[in-house]
Amino acid sequence: MDAPLRIGILYSTTGAYGAFGRESRDGAELAAEELRREGVPVELAIADPEGEAGRYVSLARELLRDKGCRHIVGTALSATRKDVAPLIEKHDGLLWYICPYEGFEANENIIYTGPCPNQHLIPLFDHLLPLYGKRAFLLGANYVWGWEMNRLARDLLLEAGGSVVGERFLPIEETEIGRLVAEIRAQRPSFILNNLIGPSSYAFLAAMSALAAEDPAFRPEVCPVVSCDLTECELGEIAPGAAVGQLSAASYFDSLDTPENRAFRALAAARFGADRRFSTFFSGAYTAVRLCAEAIVAAGTDEPAEVRRAVTGKVHQTVQGPMRIDPRTHHAALPFHLGRINAEGGFDVIVSRPPIAADPYLLGARGAAAHLRVVS
Amino acid sequence: MSTPNFVGLRAVILHRADEGIERLARQLRRLGLDVDRRWAPLGPQEQCDIVLVDADQGWGGLLPWAGADAPVPVVALLGSEAPGRIAWAIEQGAGSIIAKPIAQASVYPALVLALHVFEERRATRDQIAGMSARLRLRGIVHQAVEAIARAHEVGEDAAFRRLRETAMQRRMTLEQVAADLLARRKDAG
Repeated sequence: MDAPLRIGILYSTTGAYGAFGRESRDGAELAAEELRREGVPVELAIADPEGEAGRYVSLARELLRDKGCRHIVGTALSATRKDVAPLIEKHDGLLWYICPYEGFEANENIIYTGPCPNQHLIPLFDHLLPLYGKRAFLLGANYVWGWEMNRLARDLLLEAGGSVVGERFLPIEETEIGRLVAEIRAQRPSFILNNLIGPSSYAFLAAMSALAAEDPAFRPEVCPVVSCDLTECELGEIAPGAAVGQLSAASYFDSLDTPENRAFRALAAARFGADRRFSTFFSGAYTAVRLCAEAIVAAGTDEPAEVRRAVTGKVHQTVQGPMRIDPRTHHAALPFHLGRINAEGGFDVIVSRPPIAADPYLLGARGAAAHLRVVS
Repeated sequence: MSTPNFVGLRAVILHRADEGIERLARQLRRLGLDVDRRWAPLGPQEQCDIVLVDADQGWGGLLPWAGADAPVPVVALLGSEAPGRIAWAIEQGAGSIIAKPIAQASVYPALVLALHVFEERRATRDQIAGMSARLRLRGIVHQAVEAIARAHEVGEDAAFRRLRETAMQRRMTLEQVAADLLARRKDAG
């Protein structure tokens, strides 16, 4: 194949969630440079909505229609993925989505290489409940990620005989969290599930650190704040030391001590510096661009149905270890890791589980009540 | 609301084969349903748990029931805006619509809604049937109260209390106890 492989990259590198986007774009560029060295002529078409939710659709259309990209690696928030999905379907493109998300989706025009709840929330609760207790306080950003994660968390807690002692949603980018922290202090939960994102999340973690200094019952080893999307690239945004000891689940951490990750870190450090810690957004975008380009080469065309056939059903060697993408759901099997934030601004990996097949609609993950269970 | 789960249910798609319908069938299988597609009437004895029917081309007799009597949830597959076609979908008992061309994200919500509407209708129907039966039997309750009042020489209020206590003791409805009592009197008399 002589014609260049064009892959669209659709991330905001500025705005409230710019950190995700900068990491993802850097990861994508590292993969493209490496592929070109290997003789695969990859060209990235970079589109940057600059944090404006409304620009994702118009930029995606431009990539698909005017820039000749049938493949787009991009969107960070579920809200924007859901905005662009109908357009990708209409133009018969393929979106490569790398972020953790709330599940209940399996679009044939999307390849999902980030974890869904049976790969993050469920194993997380399996670990947390026996150790810390079953009285949870649920926090969420006021959009589909926060709503759905908290809804599932409530289901899981009730099934386990636990309880929700409080639940609060904050508008995206809200940082006024004083009342919320007072409520948590009054309720004394066993742990806090933090589905806030970006600046709200950073402000909350800083406030919890101040609370723990006053009241030892809120130290992370007693009552941890647990996230499913807090990564290395954001730790610098939180007040220094404030989040130390808190927990986050991910399918990749910079500090993973595996042969694949040692090799990957060496490659990434040579390009971006030895001091940088690479998050799951960086490794995820790197992996997605590699998988996409390799599948286009294997298929001999960038026609999405052929590429989908080429990428699914087999095991790929990736930074996260061996990765299989299910031909039925287009979701990757992913390992579960639990990281504890350390004083050096990274994560100590304290729990790891081998790759778990994705079950985006939770068909089999929760009990044998596999019959109709609708609306009570 | 707990998380809806469709694993093991049997869906029948009544639609001509095309690419969009194949995609619909795949999406349903992803949700855990067994799927059968055809473009021929559904038999009255056929077992299925949900029907997805082409409301653009469907005709009377494609489904072996009329609206309110639909024994399973129905989803209309509809591209048209023609009022007659929407009316046809309603007449078949459709509880939700999937617009054509079918967006993959529209399938799961349409199933959840159709099932919810179906359950709600069934509950309402059962409730109305129960209330109608009680209404019909009000005459019998009145006769029983009168009979008790005469036999025991008490007022109607006391007679009614007696009837209600008997119903509670026997764990029966007021109407059942009243019917029993009148039947025994008739036998005895």
